Amino acid sequence: MGIDHMDLLKHIKNNRTKQRSKKPLRHDAFNRISSIVKQYGLKQSFLDLFHTVEDQPTIKKVNISRVRMKTPLEIPLFSLVGEEEYHLTMSIIDKVDNPYLIFAHSPEEILSCKLLYRLNPELSPETLMRYHFESLILHEHAKQNRIKQSGNEKNG
Amino acid sequence: MKQLFDSGIELVVESDFIYFPLLFDPDIKKEIQTVFYSRKDVGNPDASDSKAVIKLKGKYFVKGFRLDSLVNNYEAINPNSYQRLKNECLRHYHLTREIDGVLLDGTLRTILFQVMPHFIKKSKDLNRKTLSDEAILDLIGKKTNIPESYYQEARTFSDIAPLKKILKNIENQTPVLDLPGSGMMSGHKLRDWLRNAVHVKVLSDEYDRITKSLKMREQFSRMKPEHIATLLYIADTGFLEIDGFGFIRKNAYRNEYYVYKRSGDYILKDYYGRSYLFPNCRVTVSTYMPFRPFVMEKYKHPFLLKYKSGQEICIKNFNPPDEPTDKCIINTLEEGLTALQYGYDPRKRNGYHSLDKLWIHIPTIDFEDYII
Repeated sequence: MGIDHMDLLKHIKNNRTKQRSKKPLRHDAFNRISSIVKQYGLKQSFLDLFHTVEDQPTIKKVNISRVRMKTPLEIPLFSLVGEEEYHLTMSIIDKVDNPYLIFAHSPEEILSCKLLYRLNPELSPETLMRYHFESLILHEHAKQNRIKQSGNEKNG
Repeated sequence: MKQLFDSGIELVVESDFIYFPLLFDPDIKKEIQTVFYSRKDVGNPDASDSKAVIKLKGKYFVKGFRLDSLVNNYEAINPNSYQRLKNECLRHYHLTREIDGVLLDGTLRTILFQVMPHFIKKSKDLNRKTLSDEAILDLIGKKTNIPESYYQEARTFSDIAPLKKILKNIENQTPVLDLPGSGMMSGHKLRDWLRNAVHVKVLSDEYDRITKSLKMREQFSRMKPEHIATLLYIADTGFLEIDGFGFIRKNAYRNEYYVYKRSGDYILKDYYGRSYLFPNCRVTVSTYMPFRPFVMEKYKHPFLLKYKSGQEICIKNFNPPDEPTDKCIINTLEEGLTALQYGYDPRKRNGYHSLDKLWIHIPTIDFEDYII
């Protein structure tokens, strides 16, 4: 009975210590996307781009060999936006609906988000945080091309 | 606040309160939906909670502050903007300190109407006749190029009806602050309302001054508009110079002036009879202590200790007056001018320095460059 009581005490103490420890504040999708909407002054017409955006980067883009870095973005801890911007933010979140969205830094990356997730849904947060989505898409394409080529060579 | 009103966004005025567009995040959206769709609040529109957020033309607005509290505390909220609006209002009704000051300030009246006539040339003939205040203002108007805007202002200044009306409103305790009607309005419109409201508040706060100013203007309403224009010009610039005589306002708050008379070029002779041409300078006296003559610009002279600006002139047996009366100012200026132009005795080599070089090894001011 006494041992059970001690275990319970330890358990409660451990729980409290865990609760007390500081948890890093992570930016959620709303904070990030609403910041991009505000900073770039995006309008409702931005949603139309999701239909017209190309699934494949163009040849011109493929030729770019350099690695693109992220555009700097200032994100407030708690973002508040006007009604129109709120609806646009929520529509973007609904439309994209994938975990890579919280790593987007620009409208361009929001648009590339779906394609990147389709190409490789297992990219690490560190990679997503560091490299521009366009570079990652090019990298994924290159990887796929290499696999295809090696497959052809084996078959040939 | 300024940014908000200048941005031109739509704001709402409801029950004397200002409502701002509601900003959203997912939690607020959820809360708003609960407030507006739950039976409790829809059925009770007067509930304080429901009034915290209102919906107008499909948009949500959140309660801000009372408009009258904004006006009453605007001085603390935005001191710079309040000061700007206050100055604008006082200038509009010609209630600025300078204008009140110039018409009521005894020192300036003494300089203008008693000291100045002594130093300026009134006519080509030799007889010195005393001039009336009006004749002096005419003379200033003739010899000074007063911009046209001051004549226009003079006409507004002499119209005392608007001031009388404001004073009557304040005395009757009529509600001077009209709140804007309820409904949606642009930030620009509210900014204009705030401007007018602050003006009304400034005028209410300045009741004593308006009364005083009104009395004074009633006295001055009999004056010619050209004379009022001259006085307004002097009040505004704080500076006047005619025939080498002039004054500069030193401190508007204390109504201090530097009164000066130009010496013109003059010649002094040294021990050996050589002539030295001394350049023009302004012999000045301040209307605030000490009442001693000094040279305003950088200058050298046997009666000045160094070669720099603002030096007192060394005068033997000079007792500075106790107050800046017209006679004292005239006397001090004349003493200073006489000392510079006629006070140096080449035989005695009086003063701090000798004009001719003394071959004693004492560092002194050199006047060689003035020799003609």
